[in-house]
Amino acid sequence: MRVSTQQQALRVRAQVRVRVRPSVQAVQAAVLAISLTVPLAALAQDAAVDALAMPSSSFELGVGYTDKASAKAHEYDGLKRSGSYLIGDFDIRGGGRYDSNDTNRWRIWGRGLGTDNRAIGFEQSMQGTARFGVSYEEFQRNRSDSYQTPLLGAGTNRLTLPSTWIVPVVPRLSTTAANARGLSTDVTASNALVSGVSTAPTAAQLTQAAAMQGADLPLFQNVNIGTKRTRLDFNAQVNLGPRWDVTANVRHEDRTGTKLMGTVTRFTGGDTSTIIPDLIDQSHEQFTAGLNYTGQDLVLQTHYYLSALTNNVSGMTWGNWATAGSANNLQTMSSAPSNALHQLGLNGSYRFTSSTRLAVNMTYGRNTQNDSFLTDSTTVVVPVASLNGLVINKAASLKLTSRPISGLMVSASAKYDSRDNKTPVNIYGFYDAGEARGAAASVFTAAFPTANLGSNANLNANRAYSRKLTQVNLDADYSFAPGQLVRAGFEKSKTDRWCNGSWIACVDANTADESTVRGEFQFTALDSITGRLGVAHSSRTVDYNENAFLALVPMANMSPTGAPLVGSVGSTAYSTMLAMGVTGYGPVSGLNPLPVAGGAAAFFFANNNALANALYANQNRISELPGMRRYNMADRTRDKLRSSLSWQTTDALSVQVSLDLNRDNYSHSVYGLQNAKGWTTSMDANYAASENFSVGLYATFEDQRSSSAGNTYTANSTAANVGGFTAISGGCFATIALRNASNKVDPCLDWQTDNRDRVSTFGVALTRKSLAGGKLDLTGGLTLSDARTSNNTAGGNYANNPLAVTGAAAGTTAAFYILATPLPDITTRTTELRLGARWKLDDARSLRVGYLYQQMRSSDWGYDGLQFGGLAGVLPTLEQAPRYTVQTVGLSFIYSFR
Amino acid sequence: MRKLTHVCVRAALALQLALGSGLAAWAVEAPPVDGPAAQALKKDAVCTGCHDENDNKAVLSIYQTRHGVKADARTPACQSCHGDSFKHVAGGKPGTNGGKGNASRPAPDIVFKATTAGNPATGADVQAGTCATCHQGGKRVHWDGSQHQARGVACSSCHAVHVKSDPVMSRSTQQEACFACHKTERAQTHRVSTHPLAAGKMACSDCHNPHGTTGPKLLVRNSVNETCTSCHAEKRGPFLWEHAPVADDCTTCHTPHGSTNAPLLKARPPMLCQQCHSGDHGAQINSGANLAGGNVTTVNGLNPLANAAARAQLAGRACLNCHVLVHGSNHPAGSKFQR
Repeated sequence: MRVSTQQQALRVRAQVRVRVRPSVQAVQAAVLAISLTVPLAALAQDAAVDALAMPSSSFELGVGYTDKASAKAHEYDGLKRSGSYLIGDFDIRGGGRYDSNDTNRWRIWGRGLGTDNRAIGFEQSMQGTARFGVSYEEFQRNRSDSYQTPLLGAGTNRLTLPSTWIVPVVPRLSTTAANARGLSTDVTASNALVSGVSTAPTAAQLTQAAAMQGADLPLFQNVNIGTKRTRLDFNAQVNLGPRWDVTANVRHEDRTGTKLMGTVTRFTGGDTSTIIPDLIDQSHEQFTAGLNYTGQDLVLQTHYYLSALTNNVSGMTWGNWATAGSANNLQTMSSAPSNALHQLGLNGSYRFTSSTRLAVNMTYGRNTQNDSFLTDSTTVVVPVASLNGLVINKAASLKLTSRPISGLMVSASAKYDSRDNKTPVNIYGFYDAGEARGAAASVFTAAFPTANLGSNANLNANRAYSRKLTQVNLDADYSFAPGQLVRAGFEKSKTDRWCNGSWIACVDANTADESTVRGEFQFTALDSITGRLGVAHSSRTVDYNENAFLALVPMANMSPTGAPLVGSVGSTAYSTMLAMGVTGYGPVSGLNPLPVAGGAAAFFFANNNALANALYANQNRISELPGMRRYNMADRTRDKLRSSLSWQTTDALSVQVSLDLNRDNYSHSVYGLQNAKGWTTSMDANYAASENFSVGLYATFEDQRSSSAGNTYTANSTAANVGGFTAISGGCFATIALRNASNKVDPCLDWQTDNRDRVSTFGVALTRKSLAGGKLDLTGGLTLSDARTSNNTAGGNYANNPLAVTGAAAGTTAAFYILATPLPDITTRTTELRLGARWKLDDARSLRVGYLYQQMRSSDWGYDGLQFGGLAGVLPTLEQAPRYTVQTVGLSFIYSFR
Repeated sequence: MRKLTHVCVRAALALQLALGSGLAAWAVEAPPVDGPAAQALKKDAVCTGCHDENDNKAVLSIYQTRHGVKADARTPACQSCHGDSFKHVAGGKPGTNGGKGNASRPAPDIVFKATTAGNPATGADVQAGTCATCHQGGKRVHWDGSQHQARGVACSSCHAVHVKSDPVMSRSTQQEACFACHKTERAQTHRVSTHPLAAGKMACSDCHNPHGTTGPKLLVRNSVNETCTSCHAEKRGPFLWEHAPVADDCTTCHTPHGSTNAPLLKARPPMLCQQCHSGDHGAQINSGANLAGGNVTTVNGLNPLANAAARAQLAGRACLNCHVLVHGSNHPAGSKFQR
């Protein structure tokens, strides 16, 4: 039966007349007439029919209230504090009627206007000709509301300690050595073992502690930590004809605020850490322009993309809490440098036949960075003022797909993706963590005569990491019956890694080859059951170079021509290693573990071992054990299984279950990550009795494990006893002397740690519409998440007995071998309940009420050390594990109109 | 309330006027009797004579969308997508359902979403081919052979065209479509460390193009790093001192959809760091015995030592208490990521 346009209009008119209340029409007509002097006669023509033909608009206005200002609960929702806030959203659309000959459409919209996540935009289109849009958006991220610091100047890049700051100490141990644990009265007032004797603090020590705590503790002030992004977007598309169009997208984004950052400062006796509010003040400009052709068979797209980051903060300066007179002990570290990426791209496809298509993609990018270096008294060799960094990114891909016969689809693809780092390589010299120059001269003085290098200077060359991926894929799937399909695929990839301009091998694996085979079966049974079972197996082999870590080691990666000869040995640690045929630093079973006098010939490279520090010449060993393989480049086998089953039991009820398994095995990694495996299962049930009533339930359980290994290797001790005592309780050797003799191959120093994440998630969602005669809609949702992170470590380490002091009883144990124990489980339980109701006053007007309940309970030992009395070398921040119960309600009025 | 309504409507209309759109567009006018819109509506009327807002599923809201701009000659008619469906139009056997034969009416030529067992959805490739009649450019160039195409995902699996606003095109509702299949990711977004998906400040499509790409995991750009640094540009570098895995692949350490280890880490430091670093600090064992009050700090559990602290790597930011610039440092003294 065919119906004319006029008949259709009549039909619609009849329907709409029933629905639209006269009051609504009257309001619209009156407002229109008053505000815009539109002739009422025109409105009276037939508002009902026109209402359906006109673009529809709405706005929502109301008030919300949240009872607590929790940074974690409101991490992303734009609410910074407790109390009331405005609910403001609108979506106003206009332009031609759908049945008119006008293609003009426009839209003004706004969301979250009463929050710090507000957004507003305007769009206009002349469909088929052009369209453009502009929008402004804010995005607040609340990061912490429990952080405290004595540093002044949060929100700037210069943080100073108040003049009244007294360096915290534990007077009973030392009246001068910085020790942040002294900020706790529990620590300073309690007994402690000092030289094997339980010692109570003296009155003088208590007085000193009280003065220090009285001065310092009030200085800790809360600082809210958070960042805000503000974005301005503009986009446009202009059709140049039926096939051609040009596009442009511009985004300006500012990011401001603070985030927490650890910093390190060296002082006499060790390193101290200060967690500071890092100032964020960045602008990010992005611009994309494209020219596109869309033909019957050929699609071609070209683009230019610019991404330019400007960081308005060059670095952070902060006072050193561990040294008296903070004004004279400011430390500085760099912020992320400004950088830019320019990219040209070509993308397209060509359809040879109705069943065969070739798709291509090519991009060429230049990523540059040339911010001026920060320099100070610790940067003693800086050959250039800025990096002049350049990375060339090239990517290309081809994909051919075809359906040669009914049911069969094959595809073949090849891909190339490279990051070629052409940044100049130079040698830089510096002292660690703000350290002062050592009194003695460096053995490398001759190589850098003007630098006046101290013995503690580090010399290192930068490393321009580059990589290239080449990959081919072959896939085929065949549908042998309706709903029945088998798929097979093969992938072969090769990843090359290198460093331009480096004389030393700097990458752990020059080449990684990986092959993957995969298969899948999809089926349909009984018209109501569908399923999928897929498996994949990958094998990766690499040419791992265990010497590559030396590229990270100061002195070791310098050009041989830049270093002096010492005796007859090679000029650097690396060349010495090469001369000796040694593969790495650490224990090698079967080889002499004892240090060799003279510092020339052995296989260990620690400060007090075979390689003389004069050659090694760095005070902080950066080294790896033989057998250590970094997992992103190690030999690996990977297996995956994906399965799912869906059952549409009735038209209304459906059930889905899925099970995924994954397993990675790093078979040749003696140390480092050994394996990672896990499984995930989900169950969903959805009941949709009608458009007006639906219930959804889901549950997901995920269990992921990983296991890694290490060795608590330390330098040999030359002492055979502790306080004159020699016996070790536990461990693999009876005496300290025996242990020293086998230190590098002590199996009791091996450890293995197993990490496990178990997370259960449960959700239910309910929708019930058209209650109370069609006036009331109800929605509800409950989500529960229970996460548990476990860590169980096997192994142990040695600790000297503090009771083994001169004069202790005969037979006192010199040292204990202390077995590892599990770390406490970290748990996070989250509950979120959402309830909503919408009451229709009429077709145009509604009231909406919403309720949100959020609860999180988290236990995390990582925060324990940040409290007063926690760590000796880290200034407390008093941050707390997330824990909140927050309720939010909202009431709003919604008005829809056309 | 009514006053408020008036004010808001007046403001909206005044704004529209100020922006220069023609008032005529808002004035009530009779539908044109000729022109492209009238011609298109005539064709639609074959279907809309029965399928309207009172149908089982309201369909006329399509006219509020780009598919409803009838003045654009490219805009599809009902038959452009559903086929001419002559048998469906002709009706079923008389005498059923009020004499219209609806119960036995054959399905349209192309059905995008199954409504009953008797009206199964048309194959995904046919659906995609229908949509690609117009939508073969844009982000869909790499659809053929993509993960979603290969698994039989139809356009209508995610998109709804007969509604005023397609939920999958909105940041705040898009995830519902994605999570219908990606259930593990759905659960991961409820963890303690996530991206702002639930807040609607980010959408799955900010990182993924479900229509097919040349990047891994349907990422919108060529690589993981190129995708991540489009927002996190401060981590792009190049830096003077690069951290090799950062330059390689962000997912070496991070998992993007949600983690129990902030910030979106695959494992908890220092254990994560020790998966690659076995020397110096990285050699040290980290167990409960190394916590404050653990057996190392109390020496075999026998002697309480108030002066013994836990390992700094087991508190706060772990290794990042000191080696904070793990994404790279541009300071001449920053080779250990401390400056």
